[in-house]
Amino acid sequence: MEINIDQKKTTPTTEQSVTSQPALDNNIAISGKDHPFIVGLVGNPNSGKSSLFNQLTGLRQHVGNFPGVTVEKKVGAATLSKGDSITLIDFPGTYSLHPTTQDERVVLNVIANPNDEYHPDAIVYVADVMHLEKHLLLFTQLQNLGFPMVLALTMNDVADRKGLSINKEILEKQLGCTVVKISNRTGEGIVALKVLLAAVKQNPQSFLTKPVYKHFSSLEKKLIKNVQQHFPTQSDYRSLLLINHFEHLPFIGDAQKLYFQKIIDDAEYIPIRGRIKETMQRFDIFTPIIHKSIQTTASERNTFTDRIDRLVMHAVFGPIIFFLLMMLVFQAIFTWSSIPMDWIEMGMGSLNEAIKTTLPSGWFTDLLTDGILAGLGGVLVFIPQIAILFFLISILEEVGYMARAVFMFDKLMQRFGLNGRSIVALISGGACAIPAVMSTRTISNWKERLITIMVTPLISCSARIPVYIVLIGFVVPSFTVLGIFDSQALAFMGLYLLGIVSALGAAFVFNKILKTNERSFLMIQLPDYKTPEFRNVGLNVYEKVKAFTLEAGKIIVVISMILWGLASFGPSNSMQQARQEAQRIANEQQLSEAEADNLLASKTLEASFAGHFGKFIEPVIRPLGFDWKIGIALITSFAAREVFVGTMATIYSIGSTDDEYAIKERMAKEVHPITGKPIYNMATSLSLLLFYVFAMQCMSTLAVVKRETNSWKWPLIQFSFMSVLAYLSSLLAYQLLA
Amino acid sequence: MNSHSNIRTTRVAKAIKAPKSLTELKERVLCQIIRFTDDEISCRLMAMGVLPGTKAEILRKAPLNGGFYIKFDNQRVALRKDEAASIMVVGI
Repeated sequence: MEINIDQKKTTPTTEQSVTSQPALDNNIAISGKDHPFIVGLVGNPNSGKSSLFNQLTGLRQHVGNFPGVTVEKKVGAATLSKGDSITLIDFPGTYSLHPTTQDERVVLNVIANPNDEYHPDAIVYVADVMHLEKHLLLFTQLQNLGFPMVLALTMNDVADRKGLSINKEILEKQLGCTVVKISNRTGEGIVALKVLLAAVKQNPQSFLTKPVYKHFSSLEKKLIKNVQQHFPTQSDYRSLLLINHFEHLPFIGDAQKLYFQKIIDDAEYIPIRGRIKETMQRFDIFTPIIHKSIQTTASERNTFTDRIDRLVMHAVFGPIIFFLLMMLVFQAIFTWSSIPMDWIEMGMGSLNEAIKTTLPSGWFTDLLTDGILAGLGGVLVFIPQIAILFFLISILEEVGYMARAVFMFDKLMQRFGLNGRSIVALISGGACAIPAVMSTRTISNWKERLITIMVTPLISCSARIPVYIVLIGFVVPSFTVLGIFDSQALAFMGLYLLGIVSALGAAFVFNKILKTNERSFLMIQLPDYKTPEFRNVGLNVYEKVKAFTLEAGKIIVVISMILWGLASFGPSNSMQQARQEAQRIANEQQLSEAEADNLLASKTLEASFAGHFGKFIEPVIRPLGFDWKIGIALITSFAAREVFVGTMATIYSIGSTDDEYAIKERMAKEVHPITGKPIYNMATSLSLLLFYVFAMQCMSTLAVVKRETNSWKWPLIQFSFMSVLAYLSSLLAYQLLA
Repeated sequence: MNSHSNIRTTRVAKAIKAPKSLTELKERVLCQIIRFTDDEISCRLMAMGVLPGTKAEILRKAPLNGGFYIKFDNQRVALRKDEAASIMVVGI
């Protein structure tokens, strides 16, 4: 079995013809068009681009995906002066318009297509002044496309400190482009940039730059001419880009693709050789310009970063430092977040009570409290974990550490078809799969990212702990091993190890099944260490929390309402019977009011659709040693695994309690109605434990996976494979032991 | 802090006559790129500013055939072994 996962296949091909583009190919805003003035922030990775974006837009930004692909699209509004604002787009970090990654392809697709919704009217090119001689390739390419441009040089505070000075006038003259020096940290130059942007919006034409590169070979000139004969509106360099990359550009129709292929074949053109030549020539042109305009007293070697890396990248200390940091992250998600989580749960609880006492009792109040509020609570309760994880990860990212971790674990993770960055998701998954899945955005290779998303929920998360606590006692009696270890604690650890091993095993299998034409690279830049900018950290945390609450939250509340409906309603005659029977037994046995309520809850749950469903699936789960009561718990656990405990409490009519020990006692007393033997014997309990290790019983995770993969296909596949894995392992365990 | 107390100094490779793969060099040997053997990898490297003529120095090799942490001119890049192996270098 093989599944091709290349995303371009799912990208809708627009039928726009290249020939139908506006006659003027200079990318300048057509007067009278009603969309706002769009300025694109373009630059290399680590150029300080996103920092500048945050500086200019603040909270007025929206993060989404580019159409058809899961490449992050950040759009925001920047106010230049009172009443004058522009739309800013933060494009993914890009080295070249000859793309090699999906991110870069998305950039080319927007930049090379004037009809694209996000095609910028002007560009602010962002470059790190400390690495200017490496950062201008893309700039010179954009010059050839004829964009009005401003060159923003970032990190001027660092440059000042390191004794590097740049002659702005020489640079402006040589590049033919207005230059502005800024510092995202100190805010230097931001006002000047805003004034410039207002001028650009007023008169884009005056910010057109004269390309420094014009060295098309005679073969290239011929190709360009061929393209222009058919598509007379294309500029020279854009024609060349289309010839090189038409296969990956969704805005080019199939007929045109054939035509481009023919042009290439006729001319015996080898695109990749052309690209290499072009890249080298561009560097040859602008490197001397940089050297002319830069004066430095700084020594060649950046000993500060080198010195830290001696330790951080050390073969032995490196991984140790990494695991210490990850333990801190784990500890934070695991324990620190429990305090705000308790507040949220308490708050939701009292709100629940308040509504129940104020509103008349009835199905509407129940829907409000047990359906909608429970769902909302299920959403809100994850926010502390998400916020803490992304707070710490953003700091590590900002400082420059994450790229180092990727390097250290790349080889190990590669064996399982994963990426160095996957290790962060896998470790965070031990606390909660939701922020872990969201953290995979930093993995640029789509296949590696997808596999990480698919296997992360197999790592035992904190929601499994209550279930483990209840069940482990039925499987392993408590005794001391080797004088110090408790047998149940070891079994606990064993369950965690099982999760890790199965995640890596599943990754290995997915790696064999999923096919992609995208070549996997490591080739990652390791930025200089710097102190984090807390504006970026804060905005990142805010964005992640918002995305989860709004997008995954919708799905969670809906599923929660459905689950409530299933557990509260049933065929009316059987619900009626259940109520009468509960009443009868209560009268016969002279139960107290609370006991009678518990009995009623238990009986009506049995008679509900969920109860019927539990009985309906009993034949399927009986080979695993489960009865219909466990069946109900499996269904309601889908809301969240820890609901297992509450459901068990309701079924065994000991009231809705979260007291694991009370439930354990009650479960131990449960006997089979015919054989009279305990239901929770070792075989059934182990089988149930294994089921909870493997099964995908978390609607929130599925909702997040849906969001992160942009389709229902992957969460469905994930749900299926994990269910099959859970079923088979439980079946095996029960059949062997029973 | 004394800036050189705990840093091994870089040796400049003079002895390399015939071009050889970067992966064959030891850590902390400064050399110069002369060409690449893989078009696709070189295309990506060049976009990052790693070109023929660029100075290269391996800062660290990860154990167990892992990646290479390399300084190209003044920027640091991590490469997989096969990626680094496609870079041919000579002495300066």
